[in-house]
Amino acid sequence: MKPARNLVFILALGLLASIAFTRSLPDSPLALIHAAVHTAVGPPLQNATIIVAEGKIKDVGVSVNVPAGAETLDLAGKVVIPGLIDIHSHIGTFGLTSDDANESPMPVGPENMALDALHLDLVDWAEAVTGGVTTVVTGPGSGERLGGQSITIKTFGADLNKRILRDRGEAKMAVNANNLSNIPLIRSTFYKAQEYMKAWDRYEAGDKKGPAPKRDLGMDALVKVLKREVRVRCHIHYASDMMTILRLKDEFGFDLTFEHSTEAYKIANEIAKRNVGCVVLPLGTRFGVSEDVLRGNAILDKAGVKIVMHTDHPVAQEKWLRLNAIISMRYGLPEDAALKAITINPAELARVNSRVGSIEPGKDADLVILNGPWFEPKSRVDLVFVDGVRAYDRSRQEEK
Amino acid sequence: MFEHIDGIGTFLAWSATAGLERSVARSKLREMRAAASCRTPKLACVIVVLLLSASAAHAQTTVAIKGGTVLTMAGPAIENGTVLIRDRKIAAVGTSVEIPAGAAIIDATGKYVMPGLVDAMTYYGIRPFATNDLSSPVTPQNRIIEAYYPFGEFMRGKGGIERDVELLEGGVTTIYIAPGSRQVIGGQGAVVKTNGRDYDSMIVREPAAIDMTIGDIAKTSPANPPRAGIAALIRKTLVEAQEFDRALLNFNRKSEEEKKTAQEPKRDPAKEAIVKLLHRQVPARIEAEALGDILAAIRIKDEFGIDVTIDGGVGAWKARDMLAQKKISVVLAPTSYPYLSNYGVSWIPELYNETNDYNAALLLKAGVIIAVGSFGSGNGFEGRGYQGRWLLLEAGLLTAYGLSEQDALKTVTINAAKILGVDGRVGSLEAGKDADVIVLDGPPTRIRTWVERVYMDGAPVYVREKDVPAERDLLR
Repeated sequence: MKPARNLVFILALGLLASIAFTRSLPDSPLALIHAAVHTAVGPPLQNATIIVAEGKIKDVGVSVNVPAGAETLDLAGKVVIPGLIDIHSHIGTFGLTSDDANESPMPVGPENMALDALHLDLVDWAEAVTGGVTTVVTGPGSGERLGGQSITIKTFGADLNKRILRDRGEAKMAVNANNLSNIPLIRSTFYKAQEYMKAWDRYEAGDKKGPAPKRDLGMDALVKVLKREVRVRCHIHYASDMMTILRLKDEFGFDLTFEHSTEAYKIANEIAKRNVGCVVLPLGTRFGVSEDVLRGNAILDKAGVKIVMHTDHPVAQEKWLRLNAIISMRYGLPEDAALKAITINPAELARVNSRVGSIEPGKDADLVILNGPWFEPKSRVDLVFVDGVRAYDRSRQEEK
Repeated sequence: MFEHIDGIGTFLAWSATAGLERSVARSKLREMRAAASCRTPKLACVIVVLLLSASAAHAQTTVAIKGGTVLTMAGPAIENGTVLIRDRKIAAVGTSVEIPAGAAIIDATGKYVMPGLVDAMTYYGIRPFATNDLSSPVTPQNRIIEAYYPFGEFMRGKGGIERDVELLEGGVTTIYIAPGSRQVIGGQGAVVKTNGRDYDSMIVREPAAIDMTIGDIAKTSPANPPRAGIAALIRKTLVEAQEFDRALLNFNRKSEEEKKTAQEPKRDPAKEAIVKLLHRQVPARIEAEALGDILAAIRIKDEFGIDVTIDGGVGAWKARDMLAQKKISVVLAPTSYPYLSNYGVSWIPELYNETNDYNAALLLKAGVIIAVGSFGSGNGFEGRGYQGRWLLLEAGLLTAYGLSEQDALKTVTINAAKILGVDGRVGSLEAGKDADVIVLDGPPTRIRTWVERVYMDGAPVYVREKDVPAERDLLR
């Protein structure tokens, strides 16, 4: 193992120990001052102050008073953005040698929970933090037609339970163009779920008299989809497949995001009309796509589709999430839309926007500090805070 | 009919690379064309159109690119400089270049002017399935030039050399093409231009190297032996070529009288190719990723006294002082892999653990000459260079990991040319070199900078449309 990574890991462990120590003391607030702040929900702030206490953002703005006794960190010349969120990752489910992301023999397995197959000791997590990625939605691969439930989790933190934002939800659906039978399989599974839901509703409405319907964990998961408590994440590339899934959505009324969304730009209006989020890009950058596809993000944004970048880790490494937004800007996406696509948009689609995704009072203090414009390849992540804790400090950890 | 054209393409490839026999080959080609025109008038028409369009696009002109920031890659940046192009070559570079009357003047005020990029490791432009003969681990006789296909799409196109817009958009004008990376000795690589007035003129150096792979990637081919066996197989091949070379030498030393009775060694294209390596006419490009494999490559270099360039070199930073001392250059894969590249090492855990984002910076500091190659293959039907557009972005990423702007840009220009042995012709803006020049609308490593113009051999081959924001696409 290379020294740098070793060092990261050892220091991370060291940090965990020091957190345990400092957390036992009363919190003194932290004031980040003189920073250029991109909150992801408003115009950029120059020479701004962010107050952090008890792991939360207490205040942000250009005329914020630093409370007495606060530790101050002068960020003149630096840029602050919210902790980045990767809405489509397999971090922790694919080891380098193991694949626990796909339950390949099972075409339908919505009861499977990523949390039950999560490797938390991989170096990938620390690497994610070095790229400014503080929250990920990680989970099943695309081996099943109706796959399992993903987990929404922070990339850093001593206490696993505190790291988890949502421990289940988001049924994964994978549609590949090569087999027409996939669609009837998905449809009839939803029919079954509707019947199952009705049976339980009747039972509950009848004050639970008579024999209870038989429990089915998979159907329980799909009922949540039908009741729109969780969204369907649909792995998809072809525009024609997307139309098929949009028809299914029209029929069953579930909440939906397209994942990978290679050709989404070809039906931008159809997608925008139905309020479906699109998770876009990395496969498209690695494989030979035309400039049209790369400009697709700008087209979707202009049409009013909520777009979100992803790494699909380990397809691309988690730490390169920011590069997605950067490349999208090269191909016409405005700067503010590009930043939203790796911060507040994924937070909203993953329904964790009350906690993360922007720099606003009351939200978790997940902050990324860079040494230059956030969208230049040259700029590096200098500091990362997760829940107000210094999760990464380049000046201490980098090899010289 | 298309088989005929394809045949001529291959013949052109062969004739263009024959070096000394080139003029002979041309006359043969004329004969062949004449014969073809007798048989099939249609074919003759195709060839005439091909020749006409190629020559018209590359008329000789004098061009002055004036007023830009000139990054010559051979010295410090020149503000408000002029690059004068004449007769396909760079005539002059500087602040006080006299512009002859009648020259076409390109105003580059506020722009950046630099040499066309050199991608030191690609599989671009190769016909599908033409790399990696997996039936055999060792095929040094195979020449990738036979599969170079700069003619656009199969069964489409107007004829002549077709522009690969993705490559030109990225500013890439010279590439090394490799015969693949899964065989132990895949064959002979070539250095070619990405555009040109005709096929012959596009070939810069062939063979440019004997392409080899050891370690994990070579292990992915079922025809290959395991790790130590791969290195042993290279040694065996080199030893056999040494014996072949000695036998040939012994025979040639004999008097005419003795030769009549002696057994003349039989011609052997495989051994002849390796002899070029033994005589240091070409280097070995050895793809070696893990430290152990790099050390094996160094041992082979020492044992046989051959020139070696390491490709990939994930763990090269660990051997940097040795590499510098032995003057072994390294062509690194993109920093951003597996982000922008299909480059597969990230899936091999032992290699992943040797990765270091500061690989380039550490090697450079130790004195190793480095280039960054895309290792890109393109996935289109004709294997076009889709990933060429990212080479400057890779240089930009290197500036985030310890390289100066100048050093980062050198990895995709002059240093890449040096490693490929073509720095006498390309890689920098200096008088006498090929006029491969790109004009950018901003600093080259910024994300929103675009290549606006590309000149190759003095001819404009690419001009980016003005302002291509998303609005253009919304008008569809």
